[in-house]
Amino acid sequence: MSETRPSLLRSTPFRLALTFAFLFLLAFILSGATVYQLMSASLAKQLDQSIKETYSLIASTYAESDEEDLIATVRDHAQFSQDKDQIFSLTDRDGNRLAGDFTASSLPDGFSMFAANLPGVPPDTEYRAYSGIVGGNNLTVAFSLSETEDLETIALMSFGWATLFITGVAVAGGAVLASRVQRRLDGIANTMVDVSHGRLDARIPLIGNGDDIDAVSAQVNAALDRLSALVDGMREVSANIAHDLKTPLNRLQMILESAADKTASGEDVSGELTDARTESQQINSTFDALLRIAQIEAGARKARFVDLDVGPVVETIGEVYADVAEDDGKSLVTEIIPDTKWFIHGDRDLLMQMLANLVENALRHCPPDTAIELSVTREGSHVLIHVRDNGPGIPAEEREKVFRRLYRLDTSRTTPGSGLGLSLVKAVADLHAAAIVLEDRNPGLGVTISFPAIRSPGA
Amino acid sequence: MRLLLVEDDPRTADYIVRGLAEAGHVCDLLRDGHDGLFAATRNAYDVIVADRMVPGLDGLSMIKAVRAAGIHTPAIFLTSIGGVDDRVEGLEAGGDDYLVKPFAFSELLARIHALGRRPAAQELKTALRVADLEMDLIQRRVTRQGQLIDLQPREFSLLEVLMRGEGRVITRTMLLERVWDFHFDPKTSVVETHISRLRAKVDRPFDVPLIHTVRNTGYSLHVPA
Repeated sequence: MSETRPSLLRSTPFRLALTFAFLFLLAFILSGATVYQLMSASLAKQLDQSIKETYSLIASTYAESDEEDLIATVRDHAQFSQDKDQIFSLTDRDGNRLAGDFTASSLPDGFSMFAANLPGVPPDTEYRAYSGIVGGNNLTVAFSLSETEDLETIALMSFGWATLFITGVAVAGGAVLASRVQRRLDGIANTMVDVSHGRLDARIPLIGNGDDIDAVSAQVNAALDRLSALVDGMREVSANIAHDLKTPLNRLQMILESAADKTASGEDVSGELTDARTESQQINSTFDALLRIAQIEAGARKARFVDLDVGPVVETIGEVYADVAEDDGKSLVTEIIPDTKWFIHGDRDLLMQMLANLVENALRHCPPDTAIELSVTREGSHVLIHVRDNGPGIPAEEREKVFRRLYRLDTSRTTPGSGLGLSLVKAVADLHAAAIVLEDRNPGLGVTISFPAIRSPGA
Repeated sequence: MRLLLVEDDPRTADYIVRGLAEAGHVCDLLRDGHDGLFAATRNAYDVIVADRMVPGLDGLSMIKAVRAAGIHTPAIFLTSIGGVDDRVEGLEAGGDDYLVKPFAFSELLARIHALGRRPAAQELKTALRVADLEMDLIQRRVTRQGQLIDLQPREFSLLEVLMRGEGRVITRTMLLERVWDFHFDPKTSVVETHISRLRAKVDRPFDVPLIHTVRNTGYSLHVPA
């Protein structure tokens, strides 16, 4: 797992914010460019129109009177435009200036552009000109482009500032939003790092606003809860396996050492051999039970499920164990309503073993004179198998744990048993989609396993 | 009896071969499923003992092939998988019995005997008799010295299994499987309890005990030697 802190640039929220800012800017610049184009086209058109109007105004004076009037009009106009943003030229046929600010000699008729160097204006000032023949003389009216350019510059400037401002807001806002999201992502990442370092109690802090990150965090937390419960269970199982197998292994070793000593001195070791066999059988049966539970949990057995009546299964168990209970100073009664069938989908062998384990559990952990009851009832769409006793029961806080592998109540540590009987019961019940309920009968334990019922065999 | 053992683990194979020799049986040992199949189809054996996991051809496929060749020699599977499905799979493949490793040799021997001496064509018996103990399988009545013995249905089955195996050792597990259909090892004294009840009815009222305990293994019903 990488533990490098992601830089701001590598953070997904920041990248998203940047991407959106970039896209927004792109759209802004494109629309701005279009507006600018339209604006400058419109300004150019307006300028041309004003030039043409002024030209027409001057030219019209010639139509009414003579050349002197025209010269005076041009002179008036030229004088009127002090800052030379409008300049005029009136020349005769030979190119001699008759009036105006400059001599337009090489300009074609109609609109044109030129740069002029006139006193009082910056060098190479751009002008838009309109030239034509008025009464045999050449009249040119030219307007400086500086005003248009100024307008365009203002537009460009404001556009630039706007762009800059938007970029700033987008990046800063993105960074702020991103860092907020990033902090929460970091919270998740840090929690996961803690978990990977073995601190399984680490949980992602929730804000409580119910957003998607909170929802994901809550799910991760729930998964961590399950995981840590599983790990706790496994830890306990490992410790229990170590204990439950270590004890007989130690005994086995002691027996074998004693046998070796006896052999050395020529004594009979048949007693030790019998003991050794018993111990190794115990170890083997613990392993067998573990493997069996694992296999049942793997679920392959489900392929062999058939529709069966649990009545005879319960009856058989009751029959087999009634005598065993009696010899043990206890009693086992089976109550089954005659001529009734309780069909479920399941595996007869596994159900037999499950019931046998429950009954044996009651036999093993209850004192003499305990009454054990086996019965089958129906409740709605479920078939219920009950195994009840009036023995010491299981304390409420222990009831969840007894189904764990190798778990044993402290009070039962000394009685024989693998601590796997109820785990197998649970595994079989789970395979049958059956729920197990443990209840206190004051005194005694009631175990109820409810199987989904089916209507009739083969249905 | 002549037996075929297909087993690749040398220690287990040695253990079984030695035990069988001591019990007076001849045993051909092969370590590969293909060789096993070849031997099973060429020679006449009384019982085949096959490990499920052997090189070449696995035990299940080997017995399937043997059955496909029309050979009905009884077969026992040895399995170390400890699986809940092994018994059913083994029976479906044409096996007659199965045994989970590790097992006591006496258990294997009892099962070999049970299979090997089984009447080839399952002849229908209507009555069983051991000394003065008689069992009428049609009317499900048991008498000893002419006296009617009242037995529960399971007690009747238990006695029937013991009588059919007269003189042979029937192990605890065999009884659990055959009488109660228990394919697991109960942690309480189920077998002992029921044998003791049966004894109380069949042996105790009479002079000669017929049901004998074989230490660490099981029971045997026979006239005392």
